[in-house]
Amino acid sequence: MNRSDAIRICLACLAADDIVVASDGAISREVYAVLDRPRTFYMLGSMGQVGSIALGLAMTRFERVIALDGDGNFLMGTGGAAMIGGVKPANLYHLVLDNGVYGTTGGQPTLSRQVDLAALALGVGYRWARRCFSDMHAPGAVEQWLAARGPAFLALASDEPEERPAPRIPLTPETMATRLRAALEEG
Amino acid sequence: MTTSRWLEALAGAGINFVAGVPCSYLAPFFAACESLPPTALLRATREDHAVAACAGAWLGGRLPLAVMQNSGLGYCLETLSSLHILYRMPLPMLVSDRGAASDFEEHRFLGQRARALLDLFEIPWREGAPGEEASLARWLVAAAREARCPAVLLVGREEAP
Repeated sequence: MNRSDAIRICLACLAADDIVVASDGAISREVYAVLDRPRTFYMLGSMGQVGSIALGLAMTRFERVIALDGDGNFLMGTGGAAMIGGVKPANLYHLVLDNGVYGTTGGQPTLSRQVDLAALALGVGYRWARRCFSDMHAPGAVEQWLAARGPAFLALASDEPEERPAPRIPLTPETMATRLRAALEEG
Repeated sequence: MTTSRWLEALAGAGINFVAGVPCSYLAPFFAACESLPPTALLRATREDHAVAACAGAWLGGRLPLAVMQNSGLGYCLETLSSLHILYRMPLPMLVSDRGAASDFEEHRFLGQRARALLDLFEIPWREGAPGEEASLARWLVAAAREARCPAVLLVGREEAP
């Protein structure tokens, strides 16, 4: 399964008031290309921080917060994962789109094939964690993940990137931030 | 119950979310933070994760505060650059001012360059002074909100009131 298909499966399961934090690089661009909404925050940099940003949102909001992460990004932010496991926000859902490579820098391998990502998440205190390597089981895994009590973690294996990356997002960073904050203020 | 002039002043200036990594200089502050509601205090594992969580809390409608030793500024620079500064998100920060000539050797190199580092990153900063906590806290919040970026109070050892 390519990563866009994995993103489509996840976004199709969203509720209208879910808050999404999409990690920097290709994931943000692909999320924007599939479904743009004011309640989605697109990261452009600060690699490794998607979980920590999602935690700040989950602690201060009652809606579900969905972190869309990459495997290299998640491995960079394991201290942030420990904060999520320690705080245990029931409304935080963490998805790793796990293609095993640093896609935007030329496909260098990450350590994701050597590290048990789900065991890591359970070890730091997520209430539910699973890793799915099968395309056939991916839609069911997403359904179970979002039905679990958070913090819940799912790593979905996807193919190495081959297609051209989605274009840059035509919003200023300031607009991305202020429109999300405004959407949440409106309730 | 432990009290902290800094926490009282900052809460009075509107701060309602705190994320940080402790410093011995700010022991009364961190002790007082323990009485905050669980959704207003994040015991961060590292300073860059603390400031990233503050960005999330700001998006969620809060006025956050990041707290750390000045050594933690080094960990934060990329996150401050490509999150708070890039997206124009306010971030008041309380940072201990370590590294004087009389301080331990391991605190001196970065500590003595913290002001230059903040100037280089165009982050407004002021030095804390005992007795002026309330006005400095108001300055910190106003500076971060007006410039929509990080702003820093560099503070010495806090004495328990």
